[in-house]
Amino acid sequence: MLRMPEPDQNTLARRKDIIAAMRDIIPTPGGVIVDDDQLRPYECDGLMAYRQLPMIVVLPENTAQVAAILRYCHTNKIRVVPRGAGTGLSGGALPMADAITISMMKFNRVLDIDWDNRAAVVQPGVTNLGITRAVEHEGFYYAPDPSSQIACSIGGNIAENSGGVHCLKYGLTTNNVLGVEMVTIEGDILRIGGKGLDQAGYDLLGIVTGSEGLLGIVTEVTVRILRKPETARALLLGFNSSEEGGNCVAAIIAAGIIPGGLEMMDAPAIKATEEFVQAGYPLDVEALLLVELDGPQVEVDYLIDRVGKIAKDCGAVYSRISESEEERLLFWSGRKNAFPAIGRISPDYMCMDGTIPRGRLSEVLTGMQDLSRQHGLGVANVFHAGDGNLHPLIMFDANKPGDLEKAEAFGADILKLCVAVGGVLSGEHGIGVEKRDLMGEMFTSDDMKHQERIKMAFDEDQLLNPGKVFPTLHGCGELKTLHAKAVADKFPDIPRF
Amino acid sequence: MVDVLSPTTPDQLRDAVGWALGSETPLEIIGSGSKRAYGHSVQTNAVLDCSKLSGILFYQPEELVISARAGTPLSDIKAALAEKNQQFHFEPGNFPALLNGASGPNAGTIGGLVACNLGGPRRIKVGSARDHVLGFEAVSGRAEDFKSGGRVMKNVTGFDLSKLMSGSFGTLGVMHTVTLKVMPNDETSATVIVACSDPRAAGKAMTLAMRSENEVSAAAWIAPEDAPHLDVPLAGEYGSGLVALRIEGPHPSVAWRADALCRALADFGECHEVPESHSHNIWRVVADVVPFAASQNAGSILWRVSVPPASGGNICADLMEKTGGRTMMDWAGGRVWLQLSGSDAPDGMAGTIRDVVTSAGGQADLVRAPDDMRQSIAVFQPENPALARINARIKENFDPHGILNPGRIAPVSQNGEGV
Repeated sequence: MLRMPEPDQNTLARRKDIIAAMRDIIPTPGGVIVDDDQLRPYECDGLMAYRQLPMIVVLPENTAQVAAILRYCHTNKIRVVPRGAGTGLSGGALPMADAITISMMKFNRVLDIDWDNRAAVVQPGVTNLGITRAVEHEGFYYAPDPSSQIACSIGGNIAENSGGVHCLKYGLTTNNVLGVEMVTIEGDILRIGGKGLDQAGYDLLGIVTGSEGLLGIVTEVTVRILRKPETARALLLGFNSSEEGGNCVAAIIAAGIIPGGLEMMDAPAIKATEEFVQAGYPLDVEALLLVELDGPQVEVDYLIDRVGKIAKDCGAVYSRISESEEERLLFWSGRKNAFPAIGRISPDYMCMDGTIPRGRLSEVLTGMQDLSRQHGLGVANVFHAGDGNLHPLIMFDANKPGDLEKAEAFGADILKLCVAVGGVLSGEHGIGVEKRDLMGEMFTSDDMKHQERIKMAFDEDQLLNPGKVFPTLHGCGELKTLHAKAVADKFPDIPRF
Repeated sequence: MVDVLSPTTPDQLRDAVGWALGSETPLEIIGSGSKRAYGHSVQTNAVLDCSKLSGILFYQPEELVISARAGTPLSDIKAALAEKNQQFHFEPGNFPALLNGASGPNAGTIGGLVACNLGGPRRIKVGSARDHVLGFEAVSGRAEDFKSGGRVMKNVTGFDLSKLMSGSFGTLGVMHTVTLKVMPNDETSATVIVACSDPRAAGKAMTLAMRSENEVSAAAWIAPEDAPHLDVPLAGEYGSGLVALRIEGPHPSVAWRADALCRALADFGECHEVPESHSHNIWRVVADVVPFAASQNAGSILWRVSVPPASGGNICADLMEKTGGRTMMDWAGGRVWLQLSGSDAPDGMAGTIRDVVTSAGGQADLVRAPDDMRQSIAVFQPENPALARINARIKENFDPHGILNPGRIAPVSQNGEGV
């Protein structure tokens, strides 16, 4: 069971004073939330299995207020949980009983669109899709597109280094962010990166992106915007086995083609989505590939043809090419509704997020079927086949005693399997609390301590988002100690000159 | 007498760093030593030579991934990729050729490439080394093994230390293994060149090209006196400066986009489409900054300026006026190379240059200069104090005794501080 740091009784005893101090900083009515019924919407994020009422929620409106809040928290040793739109799937915004949840959703303005530098400067509460909406009239868009893009905030995207279905060609959040303004727990306002491509010193932008709210609170974001491709077309390709489907993905890439989107679904996922949205998916195949090519019309037509031929050589038993924009969207509607489709056939489902080397796909899928029998729970698979990111959907019934625990154990076994074949625990959802205790599967204690030393450089008192990412946070003293075992006094085997 | 340690295994590397830690002996860390003259020079009595930590561990073209020991020569890696018609998408040029005392083409190691976060003309579209490193294994200044990332494209497991190590110049840890993403070569490419001698106009042309939907993968400007290096007919015939814009992809798409781009840029001057055979040479010249190579420019000083791309044209013109130097632009103006004659600029003109650049939200790094100049002025753009504080803490936490490349990024001050 998930264990969080013990609430600090001293902080809880000072709740009244803390509320007063917050109201001084944010005088706007509604800016400081203290009543249980109003705190309730903040008790969890997209990982709804875990809930905790925050001590208070604050909604600052500008960077100066964020700095004042963090400075106060630093001085008074009060824990802080940053929160964006609350759509995260790993529990990164799970509140704590003794912590202030800082919601950034009042930071909702687009500040500057710099067409010449192809950059947009926005506040962190702007939604992912909101950025595209703000620039699409000039033919631009923001590339990373997590499936929650209609609701998730760009600040949250930075915290989790969010992905989407176009990562192989266009990269993750980290490859599309140019700069941030961030407030540290000490109340310092840092500007990291900008519209230029280089930054002085260490790559702090790279470290902050994907740091899950442990290093600071982002108050402004500069992202790269891209010209929207002139057109896009998709192919649906059916195969008699996931192995053949996987081979087809490898063959497409080996031919030098990097599709904008490259998705795969297994038979249970195909069946569930077809019943739900009637996208016209074939029901007699074991694996379905959705390949999207984007670019100028002439390029897309040419590549569609090439991919079609490659698929035929790879033994595709079903092939359909979108002939209109409506049809392309119909193809996608199945994939994009895969999660709710599973939600329709199972009372509850748990979405996992491992990444594997693509070549190990059929082995992992077979292993997953074995685990499914072992744990007595069903699983359906949707897969970002281009970049190896798997989303197994474990089906269970939370009202059935013991089912949630079974699902959690099943999920952990899947992730262990991913790591065992050379993959990782999370491709795009983050560690949060969900996968925190599995970090040891991938990292040694020294690996994690080096990560924690970054944390220590930003937040020595460990006030920002405690209990997330790391199974145990070592104290600063321990992290600073030099271990004698590391210090060799001789090295007879090393060639010297 | 300088001690040279040449570990051949990761275990030996850890022992070597352990010895340095125990005896408080600072180490200069080198691969092939090709970029030794970059950054502040490191004064130590011991050199940690990683060139024997060499060899490709695995290369899986269909998975777009290569993993190698950090000391593997870049030439070996490039040869392996070329055999499978693949490449590093970030297109690192022959950076060592810009430095004094550097060796031949393809010098350098894969570890050095990552440690210096190199990136060539395609950076404007796909980023630099840091965007393509999937994982690494290293020994920190605490003589402890640590790793981050992995070998897969999409990974958000823990803090992304691969980014931190990229461009850290060996000051946080010594990498012995790096894993990078590779990409297929494009089916074909073409370059559109526009006659344009004024850097301000060139900046506008490049901005327009980047804003267009033609997916320009590189945009550079070369001054009239350097244009002959590009070896395209326009150069000889017109004697003008040139804007070069590269289009890559499948054949029909490249032809279509190159035409569209030519039409869009007609107002800027004579516009031509250069075929693939010549296109490769153009981008080698730009990636390697051939006009400013050390061997051809004895006694000169070379600055590398990074600014928001659309301001590059104006900054470039400003710098030329204020310093009298020669310039070249890459990254659609985002990178400006500035070469000064050593005798005209005994102080490197750092103040003048950084005033111009900083006011535009950019930065200027000194790439090539005599040793004494590189010791007396900040080679890399000084960070603002708040960031410098965080960076110093990171350095302190990873290398508490300051044994890894001390002073490489910022010169060691009187009280021994500096990273």
